[in-house]
Amino acid sequence: MSTKTERIDRLAELTARTDEGGHGLWYEAFRRLRRSPLAITGAVIIAIFVLIAILAPWLAPYDPASQLWLSEIRGSEGFIPGPRPENWLGVDGLGRDELSRLIIGSRQSLLVGVVATLLGFTVGAILGGLSGAFLGMFGKPGRWIDSVLMRFNDMALAVPSLLLAISVATILGQGLVTVMIAVGVTQVPVFARLLRGSMLAQSHSDYVLASTALGVRKKRIVLNHILPNSMSPVLVQATLSLATAIIEAAGLSFLGLGGADASNPEWGVMLADSQQYLATNLRLAVYPAVAIIITALGFTLLGEAMREALDPKLRK
Amino acid sequence: MALLEVEDLAVTFQRKGTRPVHAVDGVSFTVAEGQVVGLVGESGCGKSVTSLALMGLLAKRGVKVGGRALFEGNDLLTMPNSSLRDMRGSEMAMIFQDPLSSLNPVVPIGLQVTEVLKRHRGMKGEPAQKEAADLLDRVGIPDPRRRLKEYPHQLSGGMRQRALIAMAVACKPRLLIADEPTTALDVTIQAQILELLKELVAQEGTALIMITHDLGVVAGLCDEINVMYAGRVVEAAARRPLFANPTHPYSVGLLGSIPRLDAPKGEKLRPIPGSVRDNIAWVDGCAFAPRCAHRTDECLDGPPALVQTYTGHSYRCVNPFTSDEVEAAAASAPILRAPAIVDPSTETDGER
Amino acid sequence: MSLLSVRDLKVHFPIKRGALFDRTVGHVYAVDGVSLDVEQGQTYGLVGESGCGKSTLGRAVLRLVDVTAGQVLFDGTDLASLGAEPMRKERRRLQMVFQDPMSSLDPRQNVESILSEGLAAHGMIGDRKARRAHIQQTLDAVGLPSGALSRYPHEFSGGQRQRIGIARALVLKPDVIIADEPVSALDVSVQAQVINLLEELQDDLGLTYLVIAHDLAVVRHISDTIGVMYLGGIVEEAPSDVLYVSPRHPYTKALMSAVPVPDPEVEDTRERVLLKGDLPSPANPPSGCRFHTRCPWRQETRCDTERPELTLVAEGHKVACHWAAEIEAGQIQPNSEAVVAAAEVAA
Repeated sequence: MSTKTERIDRLAELTARTDEGGHGLWYEAFRRLRRSPLAITGAVIIAIFVLIAILAPWLAPYDPASQLWLSEIRGSEGFIPGPRPENWLGVDGLGRDELSRLIIGSRQSLLVGVVATLLGFTVGAILGGLSGAFLGMFGKPGRWIDSVLMRFNDMALAVPSLLLAISVATILGQGLVTVMIAVGVTQVPVFARLLRGSMLAQSHSDYVLASTALGVRKKRIVLNHILPNSMSPVLVQATLSLATAIIEAAGLSFLGLGGADASNPEWGVMLADSQQYLATNLRLAVYPAVAIIITALGFTLLGEAMREALDPKLRK
Repeated sequence: MALLEVEDLAVTFQRKGTRPVHAVDGVSFTVAEGQVVGLVGESGCGKSVTSLALMGLLAKRGVKVGGRALFEGNDLLTMPNSSLRDMRGSEMAMIFQDPLSSLNPVVPIGLQVTEVLKRHRGMKGEPAQKEAADLLDRVGIPDPRRRLKEYPHQLSGGMRQRALIAMAVACKPRLLIADEPTTALDVTIQAQILELLKELVAQEGTALIMITHDLGVVAGLCDEINVMYAGRVVEAAARRPLFANPTHPYSVGLLGSIPRLDAPKGEKLRPIPGSVRDNIAWVDGCAFAPRCAHRTDECLDGPPALVQTYTGHSYRCVNPFTSDEVEAAAASAPILRAPAIVDPSTETDGER
Repeated sequence: MSLLSVRDLKVHFPIKRGALFDRTVGHVYAVDGVSLDVEQGQTYGLVGESGCGKSTLGRAVLRLVDVTAGQVLFDGTDLASLGAEPMRKERRRLQMVFQDPMSSLDPRQNVESILSEGLAAHGMIGDRKARRAHIQQTLDAVGLPSGALSRYPHEFSGGQRQRIGIARALVLKPDVIIADEPVSALDVSVQAQVINLLEELQDDLGLTYLVIAHDLAVVRHISDTIGVMYLGGIVEEAPSDVLYVSPRHPYTKALMSAVPVPDPEVEDTRERVLLKGDLPSPANPPSGCRFHTRCPWRQETRCDTERPELTLVAEGHKVACHWAAEIEAGQIQPNSEAVVAAAEVAA
């Protein structure tokens, strides 16, 4: 064999080696995500938000609860100072530093958003996962189990978060926990339906049939094959749900159910408080609104980017 | 002048951030009036993209088309869109592979056929309905009047393909392009559709470009055959010479690797090693070289030139198979004789 | 005794309608009384067009779909009547190779995991080193490099994925492999590689195959015995060469004549039997002989009332047709429209 033919064989070898291979689909999806401008924007926003929330006590220039400038407002016939050197975002109606309130408020939003989504995700995934698994793999008795579980799901679906919040509030009183439970429960049906549908679809695929033909036990098929392949849409949904959770929590607080007291500011409450100043000091409404929007946007962008990255149709 | 002359057609797909894909890399062939030309190759060889380029059906963004495609002297590739639209359906028509996805599922068949009639022949109302029914009858759909009102999903695969053919020939096009029209159909239905195409071509003098991966189909249907590999035509010949004397190693390899119905059991197949992933770019040499049994050093010098023989047989290869080698290979493969269907002794001319 | 026998197997799928309560309004008679025998070390090819039930039959043999009636006798045991756990254990000896190599491999499993799963499920080869060695050996046998172990299905070509599928079946050291359209999703030039591989493996390991395919040329090539299926039943069964040289059933004749042959001489001179119309729906099969609605040799009596039995007409050759003998003797001629002479066509 001469050099030229050797060259071709080496060429073939090279093209085989540059693709190091051995990378699963999560890795490939992650690589795609890294390159997506949508994902990067979303991730940056989220990172900033999370950082602010964590470092809030050190970042806030003043104590958010102390009405340091109350006397100033009273003194000038209700004129509320806007942005100035000592208060970058100005002062609110009760003489508290707006920026500090916004920064400390982010903690609340983060906490509620994460816990509520976690609650919804966990309960929803269990409900939907069990349903999907039994419906797909266990024939007649499976269908029965699915029916029962889905009725629970329908119950959760039927209750709007507001009513639920009010009901929970009458038992537990107003507060963060109320909001978390209310928002969390309303998230449950979304996750449940999603995972159930995903698992049902996967249970009809050829590789599940192939595993059955191999003699693999059903439980193993469900846990090792169906479940991992059903997770992508659920993960995307989790990210998107965080966005809605933040907005819904702010909404419930706005309506007074969050019970955030003066020492623990929260964006929704800030919005509520700003209502009386809308004509004169619109900025008091704008700051918390923008904060809510941008944070929710960050999660939405990341979630959409994840959806694209994990979409099997866009795979090689 | 030939009906269609394709010269150095090239189609490159370029998306941001990825390497350009040369789906079609310099394809040339001609189609004469009433001739049946076959484009044969496996998936990825560029045959479908060629047909889409000819019909002007490729997307505009991210696609670069080069070369010329002269339909009666007019270049299809540079024609303005309005002229191309006028030609499609009336001068040139296309039949696609999957009839279910090629037909609009929410529109009744009759409407889809009369749409073509209205666009190109200006027919409306009852005359159009009658013509549509006649067309459906022509392509062998029973009870055509009733079918006009039916939806695609109510017809079987074979019927749908016939309906598509009816739409395609509604305006008596000069050129018909069929892209794998029978691949999705059962073999007995395939036989019916191929018969139908043969009849239509013979009766109307329509030229047909038949795109397929099935060498058996082209053996029975085409006058001229172009074998494509990695975006280029590697061998072109008339029907009989191609099968009697395949010259390009890919053609030889292909013929040696497909199981024949009439070969006795126990005949070993001779597969082509590797896969299309092993190809190299044409600029570096012959794309088929990594898989070729006849590979020499010259093959990696650059793209092999087109060699034309005086018999009209052409190929791109610097070390092709000789007819002796092909004969030697064939000699070892005895063919079983096909059974007679009708007992010749009882046959009378009147019955046929 | 044959290694694998199917006795009067029926698979009927109920068609359910209704918004609130599912009513059974009819059945799809996918497999409607099929009997066949597969000898040890031999290949039985099941061929037919869409709707004939061949894939369903293959899955029914492995109890991947529910069996409505009949027996599946494997090495003396009736698989159709086994309980869930005993059936699961039997699966080690009867494996399946699927049509679509992409969808039949879990995209999240690497090759090593794919191949070990079956072994783990049957408690085979506990020792890790021995297991690895066995997997390596299997990879060699199917022609995959050892570097494949850490890779994922989407990193391979279609032909290679099919090899992985074959390796997965092989690693359990089965007795029977049922191949459901093993090459139809592959490129033409790759099909031959996989066909050759299957043949080699059979020679080396003494495997028994049931090959299900619609491509008659492929089935003819690889099978010892061929069963032709139409609408849920076997209409003819014969050794591979015999089936080609002397098909007796009208459907087989039509099928054979419809398959394109890459040889202009043959294409020009052969006679074709063209069937009219479409395949009837398996939910509503014709009465009597299932084929009578399209049969060019159809007679006035018996064809539309009585369903013909599969009867022996020669050594190893069975046909299900009332008039097979008369057709063979030339006493009955086909409908003249259906037979197309080559000379006519070339004009």
